[in-house]
Amino acid sequence: MRSRDGDRTFIYRFFFIIFFFSFALNASEYLISYRYVVKNSTLYNENLDISRAMKKCDGVEQEAISLRTDKEINLKKIISNNFEEFINYIHKLGLHIKHKDKTVNLEHTSTTILTLHTTCFKVDINDNLAKITPLK
Amino acid sequence: MKYSLLIVALLSTASLLNAFALSDLFGGSDDEASSLEATPAITPTPVSIANTPTIEPIMTPSSNNSNDNLLTQTQRVRVSVVGQGVSPMNTASPAQAYAMAKRAAIADGYRIIAEKVKGVRVEGQDLIENMMIKRSSVRTSVNAMVKNANIVETTYKDGLCEVEMEIVLSYIDFSL
Repeated sequence: MRSRDGDRTFIYRFFFIIFFFSFALNASEYLISYRYVVKNSTLYNENLDISRAMKKCDGVEQEAISLRTDKEINLKKIISNNFEEFINYIHKLGLHIKHKDKTVNLEHTSTTILTLHTTCFKVDINDNLAKITPLK
Repeated sequence: MKYSLLIVALLSTASLLNAFALSDLFGGSDDEASSLEATPAITPTPVSIANTPTIEPIMTPSSNNSNDNLLTQTQRVRVSVVGQGVSPMNTASPAQAYAMAKRAAIADGYRIIAEKVKGVRVEGQDLIENMMIKRSSVRTSVNAMVKNANIVETTYKDGLCEVEMEIVLSYIDFSL
């Protein structure tokens, strides 16, 4: 029998299902790209971009890394707290190298660009650890 | 009869002179001929034509050496490099200077690994006007992808960071 306020259990179920599926579909997948530029043997620019995936990623799971969360649930903050460890891990994954060297009238300039192209990462955050797994 | 004897004598002297001239040209002394004969595996040619210069025996040992450098299924090649990076002048702290120099040194190490494994593209251009070089330029470029390179050792002194890196190449890395 329906009450005057409507079928509350039905509404609760409906919102719970929507909330559950929205959480389960894409919440744990992130797109990460990294790029840094070295000019004349000096670091010139460094970019690490992190964003949530807007559609589900395909690919096989590769070697994962576990970072300490310190009760943090935001991935950007977790990575910034463990920046060096994560960057070393990205280097191991493989970087594209683009190097240009120019010598004009014995004057030398060089530019090296290292890039991790945008890659989808599956992220599982627990109380203590965040497990980050690349999908390729 | 006189003329025939004269012709025979002339022919014999001509052939003798020709033989001397050939031996002078190719430097074919008896010692060298014996040294060539001492390596029968390389020069299977008969003794009578040992004085003629042949390129094949010289190329054979070098081609064997080049086979040694090829990557086989059971062999692994370790490439070791040292990358250098300099810290910028205006840094907030010595720690930041070290971190930035190390990042630059790693990039340099990656670049050297790529150069060694894949190779470098080199372009040169000289502009000459009135018999004088006006502009001389050399451009090099490297495009590659490097993964699984390891940092072995890091040293930092006087703003210069040196990173020793190595990468192990195996046959399976290239066969997939």
